[in-house]
Amino acid sequence: MNSKSVNNKWSWTLLVLSAVALLAFGSMRSSGPQTQADRIDAITKVLACPTCQGESVYVSRASAAESIRAEVARQIASGQRTDDEVIAFIEARFGSRVLLVPRSTGLDSLIWVLPVFALVCAVGTLGFAFRRWKVVGNDSISEEDAQLVERALREEQ
Amino acid sequence: MAPIIASVVGALLVAFLWVLVTAKPNTADDADSPLLGQPAPSVVTTTLNDEEFVLARRKGSWVIFNFFNSTCVPCVAEHPELVAFNERESTAANPAELYTVINDDNDDSVRAFFSKNGGDWQKLRDVDGAISVAFGVAKVPETWIIDPNGYVRLRIAGKLSTGLLDEQLNLLKKQFGS
Repeated sequence: MNSKSVNNKWSWTLLVLSAVALLAFGSMRSSGPQTQADRIDAITKVLACPTCQGESVYVSRASAAESIRAEVARQIASGQRTDDEVIAFIEARFGSRVLLVPRSTGLDSLIWVLPVFALVCAVGTLGFAFRRWKVVGNDSISEEDAQLVERALREEQ
Repeated sequence: MAPIIASVVGALLVAFLWVLVTAKPNTADDADSPLLGQPAPSVVTTTLNDEEFVLARRKGSWVIFNFFNSTCVPCVAEHPELVAFNERESTAANPAELYTVINDDNDDSVRAFFSKNGGDWQKLRDVDGAISVAFGVAKVPETWIIDPNGYVRLRIAGKLSTGLLDEQLNLLKKQFGS
């Protein structure tokens, strides 16, 4: 491997790491103070309409969803609860089925952990299988095959 | 290695199947809620007669909230059951207080419904669905029982079957005292 290809490899690695770091920073940084309407929208987008299939409270026009939206608006207007506390209040009434994004604690955390676990197992199993095939695979040709090829070449001449 | 992986996957599939086959459907009359056994949410509203209603002032009595809408078919179907229950309770020594909580309906429709179908108990306004959200009511009808100490004891989701309310209230009175 020459020095040019090594430099290229390091440049690409650095580029990928920089992109990941910038994306992580950009997604985590606070975008400044939100208005009350922004907070209401953000909260209702993560709450499921209890009488609809797969719709958020933000999208749904069902009576139950409108009642929840009104309650969120009341609590935000009172200024006494954080967004997480408002979500917890609604969850305490309707149960965890009202959360569109499952919590990362308790039994719900399995929803986040299991796919990663399955992916790691799948990649590990594939890696193991590929390695085994490579080891088991025989690149050398048998004496019989060599003679067969030699005969065919001679006949061709 | 392959036989071990196949055995693990097979065992997991068998376990899933066993859970699916042995799981029992929820056939109970009462429904689950995070509020059961908890203090009832604060309810401050007005009745259809424009009188103030504060749930905290009803301590000492068993309180029953029936969430209702005059266009909801099961609500209309269970109404005779509530009328009969209220009549029986009115002659009891320590009668339970029955309240209709008006869910997403207007005053005139509710008045018209009760004048036609009977039921002289109080009807509570639920402005913006605040009471419904406080109790986690998504669909009507729902019936809730609150004990004399202000704790939520029972939630019945859906239409009341004959005698269910009396039966459950008597069980609760025996368990938590009347």
